[in-house]
Amino acid sequence: MLRITTRCVTRLNFNRTFVSQSNISGFKTINQGSKYSPNFKQYLRMPNDEAGSFFHDIPLGLAPENATVNMVVEIPRWSNAKFEISKELQLNPIIQDTKKGKLRFVNNIFPFKGYMHNYGAIPQTWEDPTTEEFEGIGLRGDNDPLDCCEIGSEVLNMGDIKKVKILGSLGLIDDGELDWKVIVIDVNDPLANQLQNLSDVEKYMPTLLHNTREWFRNYKVPQGKPKNEFAFDEEYLDVPKTISIIQKCNKSWDKLISGKGLEPFDSIPMTQRSSKDIQIESKAEVDSPIPVETKIWHYV
Amino acid sequence: MVYTTRQIGARNTLDFKIFIEEDGKPISAFHDIPLYADKENNIFNMVVEIPRWTNAKLEINKEQALNPIVQDTKKGKLRFVRNCFPHHGYIHNYGALPQTWEDPNEAHPETKAVGDDDPIDVLEIGEGIAYSGEVKQVKVLGIMALLDEGETDWKVIAIDVRDPLAPKMNDIEDVEKYFPGLLKATNEWFRIYKIPDGKPENQFAFSGEAKNKKYTLDIIKETHESWKKLIEGKSVDDKGISLASTTLKDIPTFSTSVAGTIPAASAQADAPIDKSIDKWFFISGSA
Repeated sequence: MLRITTRCVTRLNFNRTFVSQSNISGFKTINQGSKYSPNFKQYLRMPNDEAGSFFHDIPLGLAPENATVNMVVEIPRWSNAKFEISKELQLNPIIQDTKKGKLRFVNNIFPFKGYMHNYGAIPQTWEDPTTEEFEGIGLRGDNDPLDCCEIGSEVLNMGDIKKVKILGSLGLIDDGELDWKVIVIDVNDPLANQLQNLSDVEKYMPTLLHNTREWFRNYKVPQGKPKNEFAFDEEYLDVPKTISIIQKCNKSWDKLISGKGLEPFDSIPMTQRSSKDIQIESKAEVDSPIPVETKIWHYV
Repeated sequence: MVYTTRQIGARNTLDFKIFIEEDGKPISAFHDIPLYADKENNIFNMVVEIPRWTNAKLEINKEQALNPIVQDTKKGKLRFVRNCFPHHGYIHNYGALPQTWEDPNEAHPETKAVGDDDPIDVLEIGEGIAYSGEVKQVKVLGIMALLDEGETDWKVIAIDVRDPLAPKMNDIEDVEKYFPGLLKATNEWFRIYKIPDGKPENQFAFSGEAKNKKYTLDIIKETHESWKKLIEGKSVDDKGISLASTTLKDIPTFSTSVAGTIPAASAQADAPIDKSIDKWFFISGSA
């Protein structure tokens, strides 16, 4: 039997997502270890209290007629720590990415502070690294779930599961791999009903789309990497094209999860899904300090 | 000089106060910290009020004895600056130069507007995040003349002397050279920052140009002279400013007893900030 123990230590300042409420009913989170340390893991807790996978156990929830889909929040707006759904660990917890053994924090690119969106992933999607996703581009997927950028007014929490409205997408080429950034807004945002497409985004949030492109172009420059490029002449793709990308990545995910027709690839993500036989206990610890370098503003 | 801070209450509440202490004794953030840290080399003391990337409008309170840093209020409510896209909170470490006063009884000959009745404001642009109540030594580089709701509100641009770039920063041109886009962003930030509160766009004198170091030193000197008149009790109208000082023995309001009236430290954990403060405002035609 699965048992979740929640140790409440009220005197300590745990982060707000310790056991967070989210919009999609019943999903919660299970935290282990100290945030901003290599041992931090945040698992999904299913409505039936089993531990689950953010990657595989949250429904895609795609409703093409309303252009809505589900999103897992990995990184709150204005923060720097690069949290992401792990491909290597069983049940794909959210962990902080590392590079050469060091925890990864994105640099502040002037005039931005940390990530400029609530950043996350679309569950049950996979950017297939074994085939060229779009004929004519000649690029393979980055082996991750589809990324999305939520542009609503609230700062969301890591592990939140949100129903979001699809507004468009940008074809980032990150270190030579195709890495779609789907632009979305929380359906409960006060502006969500006014936003149906990219021109509405430009109307209500002038320059956001331009600044988003510049952010992704420059965000690795302080680490000595070249500026990133974009497919499709740097243009955003509209809602119908974005929906078909999501559908295609959902089909790739089907292939991943069933193993049928999967090309050989040496870092295929873990596909274990929730099960009553897997027990994950909550063992939250106080946050570790954030390195002082993340306070610097980089002028690119 | 070793300055420390004495915190009363919880941040983001009406009770919150920070007093600055010298050798553990409370002093006035406005009057008791010398303007010049090193006069010969034009190094100034700066009192930090607001750390970069935060929203709470903290400022040196003029009316309360020894002028603690408190959060400004509007109609009884705590004041937070709103986020105007693409900015998040204040974009500099924001504060003031002690022993200066922008005299509201006198119009400046060039801006034609009266002073805003505050110590002169400083924008510290170094890479570190400062803390409220920190006393920093800064190099001044330039100045912009904001006309905020009709008053002259100088913004001195400065950098912490300990910043890695400080040795290379000597005048206003160096700001654009080493911090490209910062002056333009600063100009935009101050023009639009009150629009979400329903106020009109602010204007800058001198077509928004930042003046050079020499001009800045002159303005600081003028505001220091205005403060001297104020502290000596010779101002036409001191607008109810508390002039109590625990260190300036020659002024009429010097007091050895006032320090004893200041409460002991009683810092409490920060109160939460309302989530509505996270909203990003998109101001058409600004970015």
